[in-house]
Amino acid sequence: MAANEQESKSLWHHAWDSLISDRTTVIAMSIVLIYSVVALLSTTGLIVSDWSKEVGPSYAPPSSEFLFGLDIFGRSVFAKTIKATEIAMSVGLVTGVLTVLIGVTLGSLAGYYGGKVDEVLVWFYTTVSSVPGIMLLISIAFIVGKGILAVYLSLGLTSWTGLFRLIRGEFIRHKDREYVQAATAIGGGDFRKIFKHILPNVFHIVIINFSLQFQFAIKSEVILSYLGLGVQGVPSWGTMINDAKLELARGNWWQLAAATAAMMVVVLAFNILGDSLRDALDPKLKGK
Amino acid sequence: MKKTSVILLLLTLVGLLGASCTKKESIKGKTLNLAVSSQVKGMDPIYASDRYSSNEVARIYEGLLEYHYLKRPYTLVPNLAESMPEVSADGFTYTFKIKKGVIFQDDPAFPEGKGRELIAEDFVYSIKRLADPKLQGLGWWLLDEKILGLNEWRKKYTELPTVDYAEEVEGLKALDRYTLQFKLAKPFPQFLYALAMPFTFAVSKEVVAKYGNEFLNHPVGTGPFAIKDGVFTQTKKITYVKNPTFREKKYPCEASAKFEKEGLLADCGKKLPLVDRVVVNIIEEDQPRWLNFQKGKVEYVSVPKDNFDTVIPDAKNLSPEYRTKGIDLMVSPSLDVTYTAFNHDLKLFKDNVKLRQAMSLVYDVDTSNKLFYNNQAIPAQSVVPPGIAGHIENYVNPYRGNGKPEQLEQAKKLLAEAGYPEGKGLPEITYDCPSNTVSRQIGEYFKKQMAKIGIVVKVIQNPWPELQKKITTRNVMAYGIAWGADYPDAENFLQLLYGPNKAPGANGSGYDNPEMNRLFKVAAVMQDSPERTALYEKMNRIAAEEVPWIYGVHRQSFVLRHSWLKNFVSSDFDAGIAQYLNIDKNLKAEMLKKL
Amino acid sequence: MSLTSYVLRRLFYVIPVILGVCFLIFMIFNVVSPDPTISMLGKHATKAQVLELREALGLNEPLYVQYFDIVKSAFTFDFGRSWSTKQEIFEMIKQGAIPSMTITFPAFFLSFLISVSISLFVAFYRGTFLDKATVFVCVALMSISSLVYILVGQWFFAFKLGLFEISGYEEGFPEVVPYVLLPIIIIIILGVGPDVRFYRTVMLDEIYQDYVRTARSKGLSERKIMFKHVLKNAMVSIITYVVLRIPFLILGSLLIESFFGIPGLGGITLKAVNSSDFPVIKAMAVLSAIATIVFNVITDVLYVVVDPRVKLN
Repeated sequence: MAANEQESKSLWHHAWDSLISDRTTVIAMSIVLIYSVVALLSTTGLIVSDWSKEVGPSYAPPSSEFLFGLDIFGRSVFAKTIKATEIAMSVGLVTGVLTVLIGVTLGSLAGYYGGKVDEVLVWFYTTVSSVPGIMLLISIAFIVGKGILAVYLSLGLTSWTGLFRLIRGEFIRHKDREYVQAATAIGGGDFRKIFKHILPNVFHIVIINFSLQFQFAIKSEVILSYLGLGVQGVPSWGTMINDAKLELARGNWWQLAAATAAMMVVVLAFNILGDSLRDALDPKLKGK
Repeated sequence: MKKTSVILLLLTLVGLLGASCTKKESIKGKTLNLAVSSQVKGMDPIYASDRYSSNEVARIYEGLLEYHYLKRPYTLVPNLAESMPEVSADGFTYTFKIKKGVIFQDDPAFPEGKGRELIAEDFVYSIKRLADPKLQGLGWWLLDEKILGLNEWRKKYTELPTVDYAEEVEGLKALDRYTLQFKLAKPFPQFLYALAMPFTFAVSKEVVAKYGNEFLNHPVGTGPFAIKDGVFTQTKKITYVKNPTFREKKYPCEASAKFEKEGLLADCGKKLPLVDRVVVNIIEEDQPRWLNFQKGKVEYVSVPKDNFDTVIPDAKNLSPEYRTKGIDLMVSPSLDVTYTAFNHDLKLFKDNVKLRQAMSLVYDVDTSNKLFYNNQAIPAQSVVPPGIAGHIENYVNPYRGNGKPEQLEQAKKLLAEAGYPEGKGLPEITYDCPSNTVSRQIGEYFKKQMAKIGIVVKVIQNPWPELQKKITTRNVMAYGIAWGADYPDAENFLQLLYGPNKAPGANGSGYDNPEMNRLFKVAAVMQDSPERTALYEKMNRIAAEEVPWIYGVHRQSFVLRHSWLKNFVSSDFDAGIAQYLNIDKNLKAEMLKKL
Repeated sequence: MSLTSYVLRRLFYVIPVILGVCFLIFMIFNVVSPDPTISMLGKHATKAQVLELREALGLNEPLYVQYFDIVKSAFTFDFGRSWSTKQEIFEMIKQGAIPSMTITFPAFFLSFLISVSISLFVAFYRGTFLDKATVFVCVALMSISSLVYILVGQWFFAFKLGLFEISGYEEGFPEVVPYVLLPIIIIIILGVGPDVRFYRTVMLDEIYQDYVRTARSKGLSERKIMFKHVLKNAMVSIITYVVLRIPFLILGSLLIESFFGIPGLGGITLKAVNSSDFPVIKAMAVLSAIATIVFNVITDVLYVVVDPRVKLN
């Protein structure tokens, strides 16, 4: 037991060392950190609390005075872009966590136990994943009403199926391997085998999936806004990009550009971070 | 695997080359390319409830009457009728003579596939179809309780398994082959407008019988165009060809002075339709519709709100860039009104006219006009739009806000008198709107306006059906919406505030004022007359001062058209206009090079 | 267990899943979503007409009867007609599937080939600058919203440069080509990022497996190892990943279809959901369920065929 803890500690320690030794990863981490700080500051109202103020003429283009130009109401696109970080980060985080919780729990149970448990869970998974996503998205908005909660739930409750399938597949592959059999031989319980033995071996999939989910959620918010199911009352990159479908043809590119750039940077950072985490945490790669 | 990828890449290249080669069309004659912004349902007149579907229906089918293409105010003229009807002295009986020699388009449903002559009985049949309880026609509201015996007929067959069209209805008879008689159950001065609406257009019983449920995909009418290959399929492109057996219908030689001056009579006396093919492109998103127009792929397009500044920098004139391309801007008033309705089921609004007045006063309509309608709309003082009797010229609603500081003060005072000084004690007011970008922005604007006197508003976006449900189930506080005219009569607007029309009727706000109701009941059955206009004006004034809604604007329609499109005028009732449009092919070929 | 009986057993699975899907759809649309009659009747709806129409559509029946009707139509494939367009639903689906697939299938195959090639390439050069740069570009491409690609692509490449048609659809080849090229390219760009990332991960996993080391120690060339061992073994995960996407190809791409005017199934589904057109929703959900299950079974079978370590049960 003690030896095991020692070992896992050094695993994470080792991972951290390798993470901070890579410059790209450090940059990506800093970006995520900066975005998180910005999101926190804007949530607490310390910055851009006056984003809705009219500061100049409608649709003023970018200039030294208005950094990213102004929107239809003469509000600063820069302030809106910053304010929207809050929505994006919270959507990514909450739906990422929801997805991992649901996907990993159900996936490992199904894969590990097999039999009736697997049948029921696979039935549930198949049912949910075979209904076109758009129907579920819209219906969740019907049930919980419009707003940020609907965004969290509709993305979180619909995107766990991919992870479920992967985790289940991995568990099926792993559960008969020698190391699991060895654990059984020394009397390891199911819980222990799932979480202590198999899960670490498939955890890079969870990590990759979480980072994918984080960026997927941020991007999906755009689609939800397009469908009219996005957040209400506060700016989001999704609504900003959606406004551009009327603005672009008249040459108003700044709102689209600002939101796209802000989104691209953080999504990219998350992707790179996910990759680096994978390299660092994958036990099989450790010895190379 | 490598081989397949090479083949696929080659195929793509071939495709690219093909793409550049197939661009040249080799179709003879004139083609009219149109863009519409919404999916078209089937081609059955009785289901043509939205503007898009009814426009498509009206390319193929025709009715007894139509609006004169070049006259304003809107004037009804005979179409399939020989002349305007004979109306009995009591106003209850309308007798029509229909044109002789009008024939249905050829279709296998007819003997030997040759279309037969249209007779008065066809109208009896078509209008019964609209009333058929098994078909649930969407235009039934138009004739509900209006034609003698028709409601009874409908009711009787609701219970029975099949509907018998042979059973005679007292108010709907073909007296002979070409004579049609309507008897009304009650005075209904708007009846003639109903006969110009696609709901009542003539279909043939043989075709309905042959295709049954599929009738909606096999439109066979008497109109100027026929659907290509005889079958309508649900796609994003509908192609029509000229109906070879179309009767001798001529381009009008009279027009309102304005249109005459614009040279719209150039094609006077020419046989309609003037083009050989009509291609309708369904383009739902604004960006592609607009870009396609600029490329000359469609002949005209309504201006999306946000394209305005590039197109029209100084509001009234077109930017030079477009003018050199021969693009023309047409501005014309449309018969509609936008508004923010209060839910009058709520005590908060029902009993508190001062609250409503305060909210109306603080809502700066001029700025909203600038932001959303490019300063081209007409701020609404009350419910009836200009251009129809009942609208009061130069009337100014005392509670119409337009951003003046003294109005803000007055609004604050009224709000205090209403019992909510500085908004204290008022609950958060929800504002429901449809979920498109512009509606959301209008909602945000409303919120900002109300904040000026301390009223807190929450904007909620809804998909259209959900918004409708919320309104009909009274699950709203305030909501933003618009009404477009079904026919050019103030009755069509004033009924929105008539108590008995409460939701799920047209009166979504549930406003119920005994005085208004009394006046409406009197005016609604009167024939057009100075007395009726006086009553309409009186109601319009009450509707202004009582502030049952916060009035928005009467919008203008902005249409951009290419120089090669001839004879285009914009209309609120644009069913059937394609037959009047013309294309200058040489000019088109020349101008396309500049685009 | 033999493969055939396994496949049959799995296909039999359609039944409980369809029951589940019907229940889900029923709960969502008959119980919580807006009354479709109101939007069908439009702005002139009266109380009497709403009641009449509800009766005619069977919405006044007890809930269990309505549920039974849904199940019945799911198993008889008789979905009837759309409430909103009055069209035969079977026809609608038939007409919509082809345009959807005209876009998605070429995009699917091309992006598969491109992604596998790129990931083999980067796995081969793993750790070098080339690897990092390629992955970076792929990831950067996928970090931009699909809506941005559509808006900018349409405005810049189709309109400004005139390389493609702006929107629309023609039946038949090659008339359809100029209309579908841009949508296909956009789908490929959107797909390559995630695909390359995933395939690369899977391939690297394989590269560090013992058998590869063994092969390498036996003196096999790196190229041979890549194609013979790594690609073959990575295929298990790749196939799972790819085959499961096929149902979505049939169902079409919502955004692409609305912006490019493609008359496909994506648009039909969206419109049905937005107007509470129950029969169409039912049909699309059941169709989608069947497609999903069939392709799930195919994946499982492929798992077995490609990777003998996996046992059927």
